[in-house]
Amino acid sequence: MRDQVLDWTSGEPRLVVSRCTRCGAYDYLPREHCAVCSGEDLLAVPADGAGLCVAVTLLHVTAEPGRGPVRLCLVELDEGPVVMGQVHDPHLAPGYRARVEFLPDDRTSAPVPSFTREA
Amino acid sequence: MTAFLTGVGLTAFGRQPGPSSVEWQVAAASMALADAGLDPDDVDGVISGYSTVSPHLMPADVFCERFGIRPAVAFGMSSGGATGLAMLTQAAALVGSRAARHVLVVAGEDRASGQARETSTKVLAQVGHARYEVPLGGTVPAYYALLASRYLWTYGLTPDALAHLPVQMRRHAASRLGAQFQKPITVAEVLDSRPVADPLRLLDCCPVSDGGAAFVISAASTSERSLVVAGTGQAHRHQHLSALEMGASGAALAAQRAVSEAGVMWEDVDVYGIYDSFSVTVALLLEELGLAPAGRAGAYAAAGAFEVDGRYPMNTHGGLLSYGHCGVGGGLAHLCEVAAQLRSERGASQVADCEVGYVHADGGVLSAHVGVVLRRGRR
Repeated sequence: MRDQVLDWTSGEPRLVVSRCTRCGAYDYLPREHCAVCSGEDLLAVPADGAGLCVAVTLLHVTAEPGRGPVRLCLVELDEGPVVMGQVHDPHLAPGYRARVEFLPDDRTSAPVPSFTREA
Repeated sequence: MTAFLTGVGLTAFGRQPGPSSVEWQVAAASMALADAGLDPDDVDGVISGYSTVSPHLMPADVFCERFGIRPAVAFGMSSGGATGLAMLTQAAALVGSRAARHVLVVAGEDRASGQARETSTKVLAQVGHARYEVPLGGTVPAYYALLASRYLWTYGLTPDALAHLPVQMRRHAASRLGAQFQKPITVAEVLDSRPVADPLRLLDCCPVSDGGAAFVISAASTSERSLVVAGTGQAHRHQHLSALEMGASGAALAAQRAVSEAGVMWEDVDVYGIYDSFSVTVALLLEELGLAPAGRAGAYAAAGAFEVDGRYPMNTHGGLLSYGHCGVGGGLAHLCEVAAQLRSERGASQVADCEVGYVHADGGVLSAHVGVVLRRGRR
């Protein structure tokens, strides 16, 4: 099981990934076992927060009334796993290096990962 | 183990206010039993797909009571869009283990007129991770749009590459009674349609429909029209988009399990039904299955590969993109169509010399996969 290292979903402004101490596979979403080797010893590692943007979308029709268009992306972190985030840089596109910041969500004001092109 | 697909029933899809979810299931079930030549009291097993409009703890029992049958086995299932074919694998297992002799499988929803579009969107968005994805404000179209963005970038394509797929589905639907949308569309019209989640536009996305689908799996054939369930295969490698391995979603694994159980190769398959919730869905599935080279599914569509007389006749009813999508029943329309092809019932849209069919469904974000190989029956 992954050690408890708090991340943005608990109000800590950082991304945390887990590394399997047996096979070295990285994961972003919490798991009890490594999906590659079934290893139980997963080490929580704060991610550096930068990687390669591999996808972006501007969502025009959102699920919640009152929420304006949302820009989302997938970023392949340098550590390996893919992370979904919002985008606050309209020029971010697949192929650019991206870096995370934690900005209040438009609707809930809770800080969420939001990516911009890396300077 | 041998199981037979002895009957199928598929209603028209579209915006058709009136019937509730269970009433759509009843309509499709009546058609499937009539097709199989069975009476309601021949049914000793029932499996029901979930309805997002009428969620229930025991949907199969709701259906049985409303239909007026008292089977020995009944339960509901949910694997997202893969539910229909997942129910088929369980129905085959029930008859294989002799727990039942005739299993009636039902699905149906008044998804278009029974709930507000915002409600549908919000319910479906729950395939996102509750803690790590949903708070970002995404929806199912957004998740598939991210896959489409990644796909186009990876292969250096522009959105018109994907637009050929909905155009082909619409061309099929034009000659299929019951399809929700039948007016032919062009690549330009797809590219000019309203943006939903870039790069996906309205015509890249399946509609929301009212309708139902049902089928019967039996231990023995009941008519000349009975088909053999030659092989089934599943794969479940992730649920959320953040955990998806591109190119190894499980689609190929499920298909490989199904075709190897059936003892066939792709060259033996004459007709296909491939899940097409979005243009990019069917592109990614076709390419992972190895039916089109990476990045070329749209080009294959443009060249006619998925036409009735093409190399891979596919979704000849119009697919989710044009026949429509009423939830679990939407994925079953592919099964009903492939069955109709194998039974040579499709008239002007009939694929020649149809012996073996392959149907593939995925649920979530390419998350749950089920492949099924059907073969024309031998008495």
